[in-house]
Amino acid sequence: MIPKMEIRGVSKTFHARGGTVAALEPCDLAVAAGEFVTVVGPSGCGKSTLMMIAAGLEAPSTGEILVDGKPAGPAGPRRTVVFQRFALFPSETVAENIAFGLRVAKVARAEIDQRVAEQLALMGLDRFRDAYPHELSGGMQQRVAIARALVVRPDILLMDEPFGALDAQTRTVLQEEVSRLQRELHYTVLFITHSVEEAVYLSDRVVVMSKGPGRIKREIAVPRDAEWRGFEIEESGTHASFMQTKREIWELIRAEIVRQ
Amino acid sequence: MSGATALSGGRRDSGIAAARQPALYGAAAIATLLFAWWLATAVPGLVPSRVLPSPLDVVARFAALIADPFSGATLFGHALVSLQRWGIGVLVAIGLGVPLGIALAWLPPLRAVVTPAFELLRYIPPFAWVPIAVLWFGASTTTQAVIVFIAAFPACIINTQLAVSGIDPILARAARTLGAGSATTLARVVLPVAAPTIFTGLRIAFSNGWMALVGAELVVGKQGLGFLISQGQINDSAATILVGMTTIGVLGTLIDIVLQRAQRLALPWRTDSVRPAE
Amino acid sequence: MVDATLKPSWRLPGAAPGADATLSFWRREPGRAQWLAIALVSLAAMFAAWWAVTRPEGLVSSLFLPPPIEVWEAFVRLWSGPYLGSTLGQHIGASLQIVIGGWLLAGLVGLPLGIAMGWWKRLRWIAFPIFQILRPVPPLAWIPLALLWLGIGNSARIFVVFIAAIVPWVMNSMQAVYSIDGLLVRAALTLGASDSQILTRVVCRTALPTLVAGARIALGNAWTTLVAAELLAATAGLGYIALNASRTLEMGILLVAMAIIGALGALFSIGMHLVTRWVAPWARAGVAA
Repeated sequence: MIPKMEIRGVSKTFHARGGTVAALEPCDLAVAAGEFVTVVGPSGCGKSTLMMIAAGLEAPSTGEILVDGKPAGPAGPRRTVVFQRFALFPSETVAENIAFGLRVAKVARAEIDQRVAEQLALMGLDRFRDAYPHELSGGMQQRVAIARALVVRPDILLMDEPFGALDAQTRTVLQEEVSRLQRELHYTVLFITHSVEEAVYLSDRVVVMSKGPGRIKREIAVPRDAEWRGFEIEESGTHASFMQTKREIWELIRAEIVRQ
Repeated sequence: MSGATALSGGRRDSGIAAARQPALYGAAAIATLLFAWWLATAVPGLVPSRVLPSPLDVVARFAALIADPFSGATLFGHALVSLQRWGIGVLVAIGLGVPLGIALAWLPPLRAVVTPAFELLRYIPPFAWVPIAVLWFGASTTTQAVIVFIAAFPACIINTQLAVSGIDPILARAARTLGAGSATTLARVVLPVAAPTIFTGLRIAFSNGWMALVGAELVVGKQGLGFLISQGQINDSAATILVGMTTIGVLGTLIDIVLQRAQRLALPWRTDSVRPAE
Repeated sequence: MVDATLKPSWRLPGAAPGADATLSFWRREPGRAQWLAIALVSLAAMFAAWWAVTRPEGLVSSLFLPPPIEVWEAFVRLWSGPYLGSTLGQHIGASLQIVIGGWLLAGLVGLPLGIAMGWWKRLRWIAFPIFQILRPVPPLAWIPLALLWLGIGNSARIFVVFIAAIVPWVMNSMQAVYSIDGLLVRAALTLGASDSQILTRVVCRTALPTLVAGARIALGNAWTTLVAAELLAATAGLGYIALNASRTLEMGILLVAMAIIGALGALFSIGMHLVTRWVAPWARAGVAA
């Protein structure tokens, strides 16, 4: 079974004044189709860099990115990204933002309208289709960003700490929505977060990175059929298996943080 | 209320009366100055009228200039000529400056090509080009328009470049991940977002052009508002000068107000893309 | 605030040169060495074009654009002997005297006034409309009035330079104080600072970069206006040299005068930027007024 996306031997070294800075040591990571993989690690471990390379927005110093077994090529709609800071186009309405990728791909007008309408309904944005981004709350803006990334039917969805800029309540609501979407529609997702709880709640597999320069330390599977799946995150958090997995991951990270 | 409390956003007086206060103070200040002016000129012998005419003299002169030609044209005639020259100069400056500014922002190697020449020429004040412009183009409208162009062009190009390179890079990245090529990203994402800032820069360029035109008309030409006030000086008529200066100032302000209106109508969106409403 | 001397950020802040290999060559920020190379080639090409076009068989007669050699000879001539009654040094000195004098005078009046207007709202309500009315009138437009009132002497030119400089001094200083984050003032109040302490220790310190930016703009305005004033009525100074050279068709001298004017303008601007960096090292580079 060829993985949907493969990160093979990817490392990144930056050239700064007076020398080089190694941000990432060679990493290997495979994401299977329909799998939700989250990368966690201490601050500065290079997980965002890894994501940017996976998205094709930065070139790796070594290694390559493969999609469906073939080199992924430049950044494009096969690997769309949801950014932490939303990145909505301020001069376009919600509907226009969502339609952007489809317009660029010159999809037929009628099909654009239909697919955008679907996404609006899916993300609960019908009421806001003609609003401008600055008129929306943070949670709404991020929903638009997710809709925009999904409407082009990417091979894999990349999410770079998408809930980091939201307040705790909005974050909880969106986590539950993403979890619901994933259970219904089985996207292939590579997700980055600081929050271990979020990682366990959403993922099929959690990848822990070491302190910078980062490398992949350990991968921890989260069973799809765990008994706490399908509940709200507050509820799920009280289950023993959830807490066990969370503790395991957290210990790994803590060891990295204090490591000299 | 102490200055500190006011600055920190402390207690504010509420009510309609308080909201009108700034306007009242301002109006009172201006009225006082006008009154003092009139008073100074009303006392016989205090100030010679050739140095400072009374406000009424100025108004009378204003009316006279609208009705009868002076040094070749009425007030409107001179104003129109000035506006024409200014219009030509700024249009060319925008036509060249905006595309060039966009190109410089979008294609970094181009900056390396253009910077040396640009930096060398930029610090020469537009007015310093007048002698050489007169030699090249004669004492004609072209010279004036060229000076306006020289005054407006740097602001156009620099502000456009800053506007385009100053937009959040994350927008361009987002566009790339959605499959947009370089040209599409520029046209569909970057330019619309940068447009309001570019426009603000253009307003600065327009204003620079207007200011420089006046100077050029002081030296060269047989018509125009600058010419009018220099004629006023030659004829020892301070009233004419004051009328001219006021007209120049008023026109300059009107132009900017019109442009602000236009900007708000045409480009209603805000460019701070990452600020959520809550 | 009309800022006619915006400093271009030719290098995008934060972009590592040569980085982002995912973009094509034309979209990528060149490395430092590359940048220098391109710039030098460009400069050399322009110089070569200038020389080629003004050769005796070239496209442009030397009455329109003097060849490089003529400009050099003019520079040497100005440097070595008096021109129109004064040496080059004396001409530059005459120009500088008036510009710096007018600018400093405007600062002496304008800086305290602007700060006071930013601090006390009633003063702002009274004085701001007056400056709003003054601002749209170009400083150059004051020249005929100044000539009428003060004749052709130095005082007319200082007056005009003063007017040109005072508006940026006042407006920028006012804006600098007025736009202080209220949060900082509140923090100082809670720490027991008195009004005057807040004004000096917190407000003026934080506003320093913007204040210096205002000074820089005022200096730019002052210089531009002085050149104009000298072109119209003077007996010494760089503008006077330029005017005379254009009348006697000494193109080389005219270009040298323009170049010196530009160089001094550049020095002022760079100097003021350095002052900003020295006075307020914590300020982000490139903060425009």
